[in-house]
Amino acid sequence: MKGFLAILATVFACVWQVTVAPLFPVGGLTFDFVLLMLVVIAAFGTPRRAMVCVPVAALAYGFLADRAPGLVLLAYLPMLPLGVYLEQSGVPLNHFAQTALAMVATGAWVRLLLVLGAVLGGADGSAGVVLLDFILPGIFLDFALLCVVYVPLRLLGWSGQGMSLQRGGYYSSL
Amino acid sequence: MLIFQRYSWWVATMIGFALFLALAGQVGVLNPFQGLFLRTTSPIESVLNGVFRPVASLLSDAGEVGDVRDENSRLRLENEDLRNQVAELQQNSEDIKGLRDALALTQGDTSVKYVAADVVHRDASPFTDVVTINRGSSDGIEVGMVVVSTKGTLMGKVTKVTSANAFVRLITDTQSKVSAEIVLTGADGSVKGTPNRGLTFDLAQGEIQVGDEIVTAGLGGGFPRGLPIGRVSEVSGTSQDLYKKVTVEPGVRVGTAENVLVRTDFIPETLGLD
Repeated sequence: MKGFLAILATVFACVWQVTVAPLFPVGGLTFDFVLLMLVVIAAFGTPRRAMVCVPVAALAYGFLADRAPGLVLLAYLPMLPLGVYLEQSGVPLNHFAQTALAMVATGAWVRLLLVLGAVLGGADGSAGVVLLDFILPGIFLDFALLCVVYVPLRLLGWSGQGMSLQRGGYYSSL
Repeated sequence: MLIFQRYSWWVATMIGFALFLALAGQVGVLNPFQGLFLRTTSPIESVLNGVFRPVASLLSDAGEVGDVRDENSRLRLENEDLRNQVAELQQNSEDIKGLRDALALTQGDTSVKYVAADVVHRDASPFTDVVTINRGSSDGIEVGMVVVSTKGTLMGKVTKVTSANAFVRLITDTQSKVSAEIVLTGADGSVKGTPNRGLTFDLAQGEIQVGDEIVTAGLGGGFPRGLPIGRVSEVSGTSQDLYKKVTVEPGVRVGTAENVLVRTDFIPETLGLD
């Protein structure tokens, strides 16, 4: 049931991303609510739910925004392995720091990949413009959005889970 | 490493799935699913639009009071100029009519057909400015049709159609390129979208100055001639520069338009080699 709710929430985040997010731009950029939803599912739910929700998000967002779903899938793909790497790398980071790092790094990768997709499609764009106007401000936006959401979730009693994949049944924890 | 041992099968599956999606997208297998998905989610979009558009509009207006005041005083002056021009043009029109009658010329078919549509959502991620409208192939919309504002200013072009929806690449998208010309001087070039969803005019030849009106040139067959695009807001660069940097202010607020018109009588020309 929770897995089904996570999928519904992911689809809703995609609809929100193309309907509401563009109405409230910050410096010409929009918050990435799809990434936020995936990170929240991975960090507060289970990694297995996130493993299902990533391709769902790619399809839903690709369909809604008329982007190549394959490209969107590759964009959001590093989030989980990166989260696990941060957990197991031995770097002394608490749950928030790990989650934030996974989010901003994936967010930067998402923006970079989507810009590359546009440039390959014929758009003009220099590396300086991409970095200064989109990647760096995007990192700030992703971090700010996570802060706004993370603290209330912890106050509501949601406990942060690890992103590491445990041995065991797949369907039982979905 | 352990993480990749545990996740390797999933990452590999996802990369394979991404490749499958890329191939399926190329051959159009995904289109029916996309149409179905858009139709399924449209009620949610309508509700979200109904709730949040007024809020965004209110916030936008509140944040732009100073700008609106300046714009208002500028528009008053412009309005006076335009009234004078209209009077002059009406006089010219009468003269032309008289001359046509005298020469017994008949005007060609100027009937222009439009389909009105609502903007249901927008993808405004970096370098991209695409909107979705609630009209599709069942309403006679085809790929390549030109989309204008309710006042007739060029907004973009239909790039993909499902049965109930169509995607419109706005002129402010970085992949958009429109052959254009200055109304008064006829200097031509191309209008392109910029990464920050603005417009720039790459001048091929001719002089240009701030305030010049830019319209479509009709070259290449992608757009009809004479559609208003915007006006030159800034010209930078020295006389030594090969090309000056020309910034264009769109004639319509492209990103916040709620209603658009699709021109259904104009089908872009394609050059066949056979």
